[in-house]
Amino acid sequence: MKTILSLTLNRRVRDDLVPDNMLLVDYLREVAGLTGTKKGCDGGECGACTVLVDNRPRLACVTLAHQVAGRHVETIEGLANNGGMSRLQKAFHEKLGTQCGFCTPGMIMAAEALLRSNPDPSREEIKAALAGNLCRCTGYVKIIESVEDASRELAQ
Amino acid sequence: MTAHVPKNGKIGIPTPLIDGIEKVTGKAKYVADLPAAGALVGRILRSPVAHGRIISIDVAAAAALDGVIAIATGEDCPVPSGVLPICEDEYPLAREKVRYRGEPVAAVAAIDEETAERALRLIHIEYEILPAYFDARKAMMPGAVAIHDYKPNNVLRECHSEFGDTAAGFSRADLVREKTFRFAEIHHAQIEPNVTLAEYDAVRDALTLYAATQTPYYLHLAVAQCLQIDTSRVRVVKPFLGGGFGARTEALPHDLIAALLARKAKHSVRLCQTREETFISHRGRPETEITLKLGMTREGKLTACHAEVIMRGGAYASYGIITILYTGALLHGIYHIPAIKHDGWRVFTNTAPSGPQRGHGTVDPRAAFEALMNEMAAELRLDEFEVRRANLLSAPCTTMYAQKVLSYGLPECLDKVMKASGWAERRGRMPKGRGLGLGCSHFVSGTSTPKHWTGEPHATVNLKLDFDGGITILTGAADCGQGSNTMVAQVVGEVLGIEEKRMRVVSADSALTPKDNGSYSSRVTFMVGNAALQAAQLLKKMLVEAAAKKLEAPVEEFELSHECLWLPDGRSMPFNEAVQLALVDTGTITVRGTFTCPPEFRGDKNIRGSAIGASMGFSYAAQVVEASVDEITGKVTPHKVWVAVDVGRALNPLAVEGQIQGGVWMGMGQAMTEETAYDEGRMLHANLLEYRVPTMLDSPDIEVFIVESIDPNGPFGAKEASECMLAGFLPALMSAVHEAVGVRPDELPLTPDRLVQLLAARTGA
Amino acid sequence: MELMPSFRFHRPTSLAEAVGALTLDPHARLMAGGTDLLPNLRRFLARPGLLVDLTAVEGFGSIQKMADGGMRIGAGLTLDALIENDYVAADWPVLREAALTVAGPTHRVAATVGGNLCQDTRCMFFNQSEWWRASNGYCLKHDGDRCHVVVKSDRCFATYRGDLAPALMVLDAEAEVIGPEGVRRLKVAELFCDSGANHLNLHAGEILVAVIVPAAEGWCAGYDKVRVRAAIDFPIAGVAAAICRRGSRLCALRVAITGCNSAPVQISTAEFDKTDWDTATAEAVATAVRKSAEFRRTSNVSAKYRRHVLHAITVRLVERLWMQGSSLTVR
Repeated sequence: MKTILSLTLNRRVRDDLVPDNMLLVDYLREVAGLTGTKKGCDGGECGACTVLVDNRPRLACVTLAHQVAGRHVETIEGLANNGGMSRLQKAFHEKLGTQCGFCTPGMIMAAEALLRSNPDPSREEIKAALAGNLCRCTGYVKIIESVEDASRELAQ
Repeated sequence: MTAHVPKNGKIGIPTPLIDGIEKVTGKAKYVADLPAAGALVGRILRSPVAHGRIISIDVAAAAALDGVIAIATGEDCPVPSGVLPICEDEYPLAREKVRYRGEPVAAVAAIDEETAERALRLIHIEYEILPAYFDARKAMMPGAVAIHDYKPNNVLRECHSEFGDTAAGFSRADLVREKTFRFAEIHHAQIEPNVTLAEYDAVRDALTLYAATQTPYYLHLAVAQCLQIDTSRVRVVKPFLGGGFGARTEALPHDLIAALLARKAKHSVRLCQTREETFISHRGRPETEITLKLGMTREGKLTACHAEVIMRGGAYASYGIITILYTGALLHGIYHIPAIKHDGWRVFTNTAPSGPQRGHGTVDPRAAFEALMNEMAAELRLDEFEVRRANLLSAPCTTMYAQKVLSYGLPECLDKVMKASGWAERRGRMPKGRGLGLGCSHFVSGTSTPKHWTGEPHATVNLKLDFDGGITILTGAADCGQGSNTMVAQVVGEVLGIEEKRMRVVSADSALTPKDNGSYSSRVTFMVGNAALQAAQLLKKMLVEAAAKKLEAPVEEFELSHECLWLPDGRSMPFNEAVQLALVDTGTITVRGTFTCPPEFRGDKNIRGSAIGASMGFSYAAQVVEASVDEITGKVTPHKVWVAVDVGRALNPLAVEGQIQGGVWMGMGQAMTEETAYDEGRMLHANLLEYRVPTMLDSPDIEVFIVESIDPNGPFGAKEASECMLAGFLPALMSAVHEAVGVRPDELPLTPDRLVQLLAARTGA
Repeated sequence: MELMPSFRFHRPTSLAEAVGALTLDPHARLMAGGTDLLPNLRRFLARPGLLVDLTAVEGFGSIQKMADGGMRIGAGLTLDALIENDYVAADWPVLREAALTVAGPTHRVAATVGGNLCQDTRCMFFNQSEWWRASNGYCLKHDGDRCHVVVKSDRCFATYRGDLAPALMVLDAEAEVIGPEGVRRLKVAELFCDSGANHLNLHAGEILVAVIVPAAEGWCAGYDKVRVRAAIDFPIAGVAAAICRRGSRLCALRVAITGCNSAPVQISTAEFDKTDWDTATAEAVATAVRKSAEFRRTSNVSAKYRRHVLHAITVRLVERLWMQGSSLTVR
């Protein structure tokens, strides 16, 4: 069964006819064509699909598309402004918070949620906020440094 | 040969990834992200039994289902594939027998997921169940049913070697200890699940695969072989790749199945694998039992070493022969040991095939070795650093295994981590429940004999320069996140004195880029870096010659930097002008740089198996781990790692640090939490909840010290920088745990239940 | 698109509407955050005809302090909101402590109090893909007639692994349930029964609406949990305890456990009430806990270790609370 889904996606209002049993991650990737959000596991285990729903992080692979009706969903594609990189994107690029890049969109979105609610997090707060996002390349050290770098830039 | 000295500020400078912007903005397209409108959905039917004979396969009902376009079974592919020509034993879809639970037996291409799934349920397969073996020792027992006819005793490879006189070495030792260590099977758990998109052009009988692979050219050859299609009508493209770590260094069944389905359906097929299926593909580090015997003098000098290694290899050969040879090969090349004996068995079992994982074949034996070395040092009241220093090599030297060690920064690595960790002041004086430990390790900078021996160069890089002054670097090297695309651009930029913006890297597309063996055995920086260096020098020569003609100056006087060609007298020519001059009469310039490991680095023909573990350069690492133990729960917490790595020269210190941190951390996962588990061959761990990849909260700070020994053969002196540091974490943690609570682990991972058992045994409770 | 069971999605805005929807469709399932249910649906561990999403129900996620000093927590309150709530932090810190250990931070933003309480039981023979379970002949809990944990058993031994339940149980909290027959209240402990296949004492059409936590003045409560990783993992074993102490007197004690049986279990500890604390008390409590706990082969972690560690963390927790209790001022 399909139903109309209305939501705001990366600041634009959309209406789509979406199956009732479609996951948010599939809606983003297959209906909206935003493939930046990744699917890395069989359900809520890796964090690669993290997006923002009304500024809070959400695992798009264990959320139904219709659960976010009427809300504002933001993906990695929505962070860049004026064709440039957001402060977190820039920091992850410059500080090598990304290697293979597959966990990166989810990691950045989780970090974005953190910085929106806590612009100057401690190292422990960063670790606690990103503990649901697995990375297999970096050992996390440079991810933490990237978030710290972005928060410093924000403070300036 | 001496290393080139960089002077243009492109080498040795922290450099963000050339494709990093795509990764952080979500623009990077991985295979699953590629648009493929109308592509069919592929799904695989997998064996529910661990070992059985296929009596019949009935696909009639499935084929009759509306929306099913093609069904493939073992009959569609009579040609097996394999890593080495002597053990091509794996069909993409099982024929006659299934050998592990989850082995692909049939596959469907249908218009959508639901139809494909319904079709799979309509396929009826009858099996005759055979005895299955999930344990190497049981599979090796006389009378065990053969998993493969070509190895009736279920041993894929048995190897025995002795260098020097080990009996004499042990007899002159002051202390001889023997201990058995057990290491669980682990998996790469790269975050991108396996996936292949196959496009078939029915008119031209041509196949294009977009694959998540570290070895696109091996895949190209395997697809052509298995589908019996001319290699010229195959194209393999590796787009962005979400991690590899060795998981994707051969043609995996799903890659070949996607190709088979696409050809049969005469249509594009996208085959996305679940996380569970990605685990079923396995090729990770095998479960390994090592009985290690070391002899040591009172002063800590090693007199002899004997390692017996048994590996539960899984159902197919994969890299197995190479893996078991590595367990012996890299007993050499790090310390001076007068006598080394190695006995190894790589055994077939009815579990998913294991293969190469970061630190291929060397991690478990190295961990056992270093752990026993630490234990013996304690018994002799020697410091852990002291025993290493008592056994250092003096480079340059050639090992008994014919490996040439030309650069050796281990002594400096030891000094760095000893100082940084405060070892001298702190070790032995740690608070209760807390400890420090040391581990060293090493690895090859590329295996100097390719798996497919063709006589071609080991690496080739093409540079294309045209009217626009832009340089396109064409390399077959598969960037898997380690940054090889960035590395080649740095090398070319350094030689030509140009900015990164002037270059674009096109990589890993068999229709466009020169063949490369792939991203494995840490070969890319060394070999592809050298090929890029040679290509850039050729291009530089052509540009300089063109400029020299115009400026009437000798070619040898030109320096290239800041996008100009300079003469000592101050005259200069912009890069673009030199390009225009060089193109006159010739048009587009394409240059080719190659690299081949000279024969003297490829092992000794008189030593069987010595092609494995032969390399032009060895990297070295020393690390100190600080950890604490909660005696109530048995939980071990690593707090800090100080690691120093001799990488020859750090071409990109930012990437080198990242690789080192990732390598140490992957060792931490193996040491602490990661392991596979089976119930009668059924995977119990095939998700990221039960297979416990450490989270950010579980992960220590890792402080990196880069040691640059400047290898004479590496590009600008570089060696590998991503594998050698992995193994050292394991023994360092084991030693830290000993200082903390007085127990010596002999089984990893050191999960809370294992530690509690050790603590119980300690108190005799 | 990910293969999922086919279902209709319904998002009522009132409880009456939700109860109505549940009553009409016997195959309907409730969902709030979805972090427990959706991974299970992706594995075809349930096939609901209708999914009733409760998150749009007015007031479902509210939290209020009540006149009697207690607190009413709407079942739809997210764990994240529970953690950030000032009342909770000040007066019922054990709830915050337990909620903080649930899964990972992103799960907690979506996961709710009600969902955490009602979450399905878990077993290594159950939480597997359709293909995996089919190749194992399914199991008693779903689609099959055999238990792989206790062969020949006619009941399912899947383990309850929620973290909040034991914490609420030692606070003597009550659950408010609405259904076709109206509203009823029961102790949180009574919400569960020790059956892996059917662990909730809810009748057809009933919805857990809220939990009511009485004032915890004079009590010192805490939660301890063991897991291999510091995030994401379910508890290998978890224990909550509340102690009321006067000087050297243990006036009252409550203990509840999770991660062992098919339900969270309130331990009978009456023998310790109104006794003088001595060095053996914590051990004795832990022994009582261990006797009530079941350790079956439902997870990768050995039963032997789970038995050991449940005992060890109970001793540690009770001793910690006893020490904390000495500084507690009784208002």
